[in-house]
Amino acid sequence: MGKTYLGEFEEIVMLTVAILKGDAYGIAIINEMEERLGRSVSIGSLQTVLRRLEEKGYLTSALGEATKVRGGKRKRYYEVTVAGQRILDETKDQRLSLWNAIPRLNPRSSS
Amino acid sequence: MKSSQTMPSPPLVWLKFFRWFCRRDCVEDVEGDLLERYEVRLNIEGKHAADRYFIRDVVKLFRPGMIKSFEGNQKLNYYGMLKHNLLVSFRSFRRYKTAFLINLIGLSTGLACALFIYLWVEDEYAVDKFHAHDRQLYQVLLHHEESGTLNTGTDTPGLLAAALEEEIPEIVAAIHSTPSFWFGRMPLTHKENTIKASGQFVGPRYFELFSFPLIHGSAAEVLQEKYSIVLSESLATNLFGSAEAAVGQTLDWSARHFADRFQVSGVFEDLPNNTTEDFDFVLPFEYFADMLGEGVNWGNYNSLTYIMVSENTELTDLNDKLSGFIKAKREDSNVIAFARPYSEGYLYSKYENGHQAGGRIEYVHLFTAISIFILLVACINFMNLSTAKASRKTKEVGVKKAIGASRSALIAQFMSESFVMTLISILMALGMVALLLPQFNTVTTKEIQLVFDGPLLLNLTIILFLTALVAGSYPALYLSKFHAAQVLKGQLRSSIVEFWVRKGLVVFQFSLSIILIVAVLVVHQQIEFVQNKNLGYSKENVILFPNEGKIAEKQADFLSQLRNTVGVIDASATTHTIVNGGGYTTGVSWEGKNPDVQTRFGNMSVDFNFLSTLGMELIKGRTFSQDFSSEHEKLIFNETAIQLMGIDDPIGKKVNLWGQDREIIGVAKDFHFESLHEPITPMFFKMLSGPAQTIVVKIAPQNQFETIERIERLFQEFNPSFSFNFQFLDGEYQKQYAAENVVAILSRYFAGITILISCLGLFGLVSFTAERRYREIGIRKALGATSASIVRLLSVDFNRMILVAVFIAIPLSYYLVDMWLAGFAYTIDLSWHYFVLAGLASLLIAWVTVAVQTMKAASVNPVKSLRSD
Repeated sequence: MGKTYLGEFEEIVMLTVAILKGDAYGIAIINEMEERLGRSVSIGSLQTVLRRLEEKGYLTSALGEATKVRGGKRKRYYEVTVAGQRILDETKDQRLSLWNAIPRLNPRSSS
Repeated sequence: MKSSQTMPSPPLVWLKFFRWFCRRDCVEDVEGDLLERYEVRLNIEGKHAADRYFIRDVVKLFRPGMIKSFEGNQKLNYYGMLKHNLLVSFRSFRRYKTAFLINLIGLSTGLACALFIYLWVEDEYAVDKFHAHDRQLYQVLLHHEESGTLNTGTDTPGLLAAALEEEIPEIVAAIHSTPSFWFGRMPLTHKENTIKASGQFVGPRYFELFSFPLIHGSAAEVLQEKYSIVLSESLATNLFGSAEAAVGQTLDWSARHFADRFQVSGVFEDLPNNTTEDFDFVLPFEYFADMLGEGVNWGNYNSLTYIMVSENTELTDLNDKLSGFIKAKREDSNVIAFARPYSEGYLYSKYENGHQAGGRIEYVHLFTAISIFILLVACINFMNLSTAKASRKTKEVGVKKAIGASRSALIAQFMSESFVMTLISILMALGMVALLLPQFNTVTTKEIQLVFDGPLLLNLTIILFLTALVAGSYPALYLSKFHAAQVLKGQLRSSIVEFWVRKGLVVFQFSLSIILIVAVLVVHQQIEFVQNKNLGYSKENVILFPNEGKIAEKQADFLSQLRNTVGVIDASATTHTIVNGGGYTTGVSWEGKNPDVQTRFGNMSVDFNFLSTLGMELIKGRTFSQDFSSEHEKLIFNETAIQLMGIDDPIGKKVNLWGQDREIIGVAKDFHFESLHEPITPMFFKMLSGPAQTIVVKIAPQNQFETIERIERLFQEFNPSFSFNFQFLDGEYQKQYAAENVVAILSRYFAGITILISCLGLFGLVSFTAERRYREIGIRKALGATSASIVRLLSVDFNRMILVAVFIAIPLSYYLVDMWLAGFAYTIDLSWHYFVLAGLASLLIAWVTVAVQTMKAASVNPVKSLRSD
């Protein structure tokens, strides 16, 4: 398999999981994204992306303890793996190098 | 808070739905997420909104990534097995490419043939079936009792329809019509514009009985007036510019020496392709009855009769009433009337001595049988190749059985392989059919289209399942029978039964091929024979054209000028069509005739020089000549007639025709004035009285183009407004055998395909045998065997099979072609060389097939085949 890239939504999900560090389960991720980015996310689209990222090896997950809320269902907590960390770094570097490559037109005239 | 302690209650149906479809590994935590969200929303936005959001979330979760796979979580492992079977099938296709290609080519061409024949047969059955009253429409036919046998004909007395309608209560309506070929193409003139078109005279309720939709006019009214004419849409457009413009206009019609003016009362849509009727316009039958005058009586047969009966009429009851109907009208009548469903007329047209004796339906059956055989041959390839490669599959079967596969699971595996194979083939076959349909239509002169409607899809599915079942059943049953232990120990030996089955199948394939080769040879020869047979007259360089307009009035003048035209050898005129048969009469009596037996005589009215124009020979006496007077009272008979009447020295003797004594002046050598399906019957020539129907011209073989131009100029001098349409007699003659020609061409293709498929099968079998004996061949060669001896070793088995096939096929094919030839009165002799030729041809083809493979096997360097051990 060739090199894999992160999609835009995948990248955001990974970053949010990283932010929440240790407290990243379905609803928490959604809430965080809605709060920070102001975009609404459905459980369906989030869950598919989470599973996909887990299959690719960028995330790992574990079930938490059962509680009385949520109908007694356990939460699945996600964490960014080392491979996930690396791909996030790469993505960021790529973006930055692209940004840096943009020629600033007449930087002096603006000041 | 209160609400957090009680369980949230989202819509239960949707929750269950989610639990049902969601992947097992995430059903718990995602459900938790759903519920958590639901609780939050319930508190903030209320139950109603929360329910709505919940449903939306569930629906959005119903996506590929979240739906559980079908695999592995059902109690019965159908899906998994099916997937496995398909995988194994595709792997085996890829691994045994030759076998796959042979099966693919064989099955798909076989299926394409079957599809073509299916389309053709469907089309044949659909002919004339589209009329709304189809189930109530019948045609009245007559059996004529003549010389002790029954001859069946469609012509009926012109008084029949009215009498039937009045006297038989079941008959709702009865009408007459005239077949359009009686008058040929008749000129219709509107102002300067003359177009020749074929037409019929029909009874007033014609368009009520037959569903030919009218664009203008109503079915009940268009034929009420005696001088009304109904045109087809394209004829109306050609004459008047459009269908609308035609209505109410008048036009001049003429036929032979009749001419009149008619008013267009209606326009009908052009006739569809699937009707046996063939006309561009219709005129009222009333007018035709006037033309016949006194000819309309119970003893003259000059129209066709169609009836519509009330619903639930039993045909047998109806026929009981019909049989004596005409005899009751006329005491000395010799005819028995009966009704035949109108739409059956096309396929069941032949009668022998009063009994239905087939017709086109025989070809429908023949081709259906051929298509089944071709498919069978293709299926046999599949069976043979699958069982032949059994040795390769034994390990697979053994291992599977050892792990616990049941026999039925293995059968399912092999069946699914044949099913996949057939499915791919059927798709390819459909492609071929779509591609070749235009050519097929040209050959069969049909306009068949490939329309994927319900019946076609249903039949395709049936064909698919049947073929897959036939092809797959034997290999499936055979391969699944192995005992695991024996197979894995390598103790498998081919059973005697298997050996015989495979050989038997090859023999069967080749027998079929040989039968088809014989059939093609014989059909081809017979058609050649028919077309080149000495008919007793010469049909080469003879042109025919209708006697019409001013020519009909000044016939003698025109003929004498024609005879003087450069390039014209001779010319004459007749009322007979020459190739299609003409009038008959039973009104001949002679000394010593048995008064109880009626005999039909063909009746040809001819002008001077007719016999010489067509190169007919006289045995005795003389022909009609201008040197003698009162030639109208003289007759010339053919040999058969003289023999039948038993007159020893005929010249100068008198016979009675229609109550008048007439002198016999000549005896003509027998010639074929009908199709070769019929034997030569008694006939006589008499002098034309009145205008003829056709002008016959014999022209010199050189510069025919110029000669015809000269004839055309002469024709235009007489008829300036008419177009000159001529036909060559030999061309007309061949049209009679159109059905046989189509059969000949199609059978050639189908025989070719059968042979191809059989050879493919043989090719596959030989290559498998050669592969299995790869090492044996290597050892033999290392020990000094020559290539030739190896070839002999490998091919001796196959030669024996093909020889057996030859011996089986020859008597069978003799029987079959003999039956086909029985339909002709004059046939080729079935000499032995057709059969020997067919046998040798198939042997040769098979040898070449076998030789190519065996030579390849024999020429392999033994080092290669033995090195791996």
